[in-house]
Amino acid sequence: MAGFFSLLRRIYLSLYNWTVLFGWCQVLYFVLKTLNESGHEHVYEAAEKSLLFAQTAAVLEILHGLVGLVRSPITATLPQISSRLFLTWGILWSFPETRSHVLVTSLLISWSITEIIRYSFFGFKETFGFTPSWLLWLRYSSFLVLYPTGISSEVGLIYIALPFIKASEKYCIRMPNKWNSSFDYFYAAIAAMGIYIPGSPHMYTYMLAQRKKALSKSKRE
Amino acid sequence: MKVTVVSRSGREVVKGGIHLSDSATVADLQEAIHKQTKKYPSRQRLTLPVQPGSKERPVVLNYKKSLQDYTSGNSDSLTVVFKDLGPQVSYRTLFFCEYLGPLLLYPVFYYFPVYQYFGYKGERVIHPVQTYALYYWCFHYAKRILETFFVHRFSHATSPLSNVFRNCAYYWTFGSYIAYYMNHPLYTPVNDLQMKIGFGFGILCQISNFYCHIILKNLRSPGGEGGYQIPKGFLFNIVTCANYTTEIYQWLGFNIATQTVAGYIFLAVATFIMTNWALAKHRRLKKLFDGKEGRPRYPRRWIILPPFL
Repeated sequence: MAGFFSLLRRIYLSLYNWTVLFGWCQVLYFVLKTLNESGHEHVYEAAEKSLLFAQTAAVLEILHGLVGLVRSPITATLPQISSRLFLTWGILWSFPETRSHVLVTSLLISWSITEIIRYSFFGFKETFGFTPSWLLWLRYSSFLVLYPTGISSEVGLIYIALPFIKASEKYCIRMPNKWNSSFDYFYAAIAAMGIYIPGSPHMYTYMLAQRKKALSKSKRE
Repeated sequence: MKVTVVSRSGREVVKGGIHLSDSATVADLQEAIHKQTKKYPSRQRLTLPVQPGSKERPVVLNYKKSLQDYTSGNSDSLTVVFKDLGPQVSYRTLFFCEYLGPLLLYPVFYYFPVYQYFGYKGERVIHPVQTYALYYWCFHYAKRILETFFVHRFSHATSPLSNVFRNCAYYWTFGSYIAYYMNHPLYTPVNDLQMKIGFGFGILCQISNFYCHIILKNLRSPGGEGGYQIPKGFLFNIVTCANYTTEIYQWLGFNIATQTVAGYIFLAVATFIMTNWALAKHRRLKKLFDGKEGRPRYPRRWIILPPFL
């Protein structure tokens, strides 16, 4: 019985990883194609459907961690996915005025390359039981460049969006109301930017530690 | 008796060890270590060494016991493992700091014109429920401070200094967050009956909570000795942590009367924290009072929130 579930888990995770990988390949393809043909202002439009699909699917990874399907600690997956969903739905999808900015291009390129490496890494592991050493190296080295570029693009885009957030009153709850509560999306976005200050070093050093563990282990084998 | 004091990595913490009389207590040892290391007794965690690879939890030395209680047979030497717990504060100090914040900050939002700095100019109409909420809230935290100094009996325990910052952040932030909405110029009261039911139930629970604290205090002697007893009487007959139960329901009463999202979030977080404490306490009591070797058996009881847990 245990063997059956373990096989089911492998099939499910393989399907998941390869499917989402395909989505991110599409994102990168449309970004590069549009850059070549029309320019950075149209990059979002071309990649939107694939981006919304691939990035939102990542919510499943929180579930995978919670039920123990995968080993990744939720303290690492939750901040990562939160920032991705916040940027994808909370900034780009909600405030179209941001979509033509050049930072969208750097954002999507950073994200898609990182995810292509990451999902193929896990896809290989689940389907074939191993990962080629060059892919292992990429997985634990590309973040050295792509985390800074991705994070800068994320913070930059939130900043760009601020005036539009303030003017639109979107997602705001105002007093008076019977639950005596309020929410100001403008200040929440500023607070989100603030979280990057302790959050980025935390994620970066976590990956550095993972890199040390993973690459030294493969050297010994 | 010669006591060798080592760190967890095996390094000698006190060179040459400490020489004490055979009848010395752990407290005497702690004083001697204090003289040699400048680390006062409440920051010392002294345990018996465990076999490497053993999964057992190390035996922590109790300050009241004599050293002889921990030597097995070979009674003139003992090895203890020393861990520095860092700067410590007494629970009294910790509780006083964390409760003072809500007691003082909430009235600031009620009495002072702070909302003009949030963009709300003009006169503020104060609803009766906002005044009652002020009294209820301040009574609650004044009660907590008085209990800290006159009711609670703390066993020798202290708390790490870092907890002062963590706990004050929790209480002071939530206190301000709730006070902001409660005293807001655009605050919307609930109907009169709901307010009366909420505050009435809350006061009842606060009184019950006070009585629970009295019962817990009487389980221990004035010196703080007593360790663990099976709580008895009043609600403790059916619930292990009746003090937490009454505290949670007291906040529920406050929220029914005042109805703010901020208040309900605070209730949810506080319930979560207290439930974790209650589970640990219930487990500890069940383990200690297992019915073997003449010890009483811990009775079947709700843990914290009948009929759920």
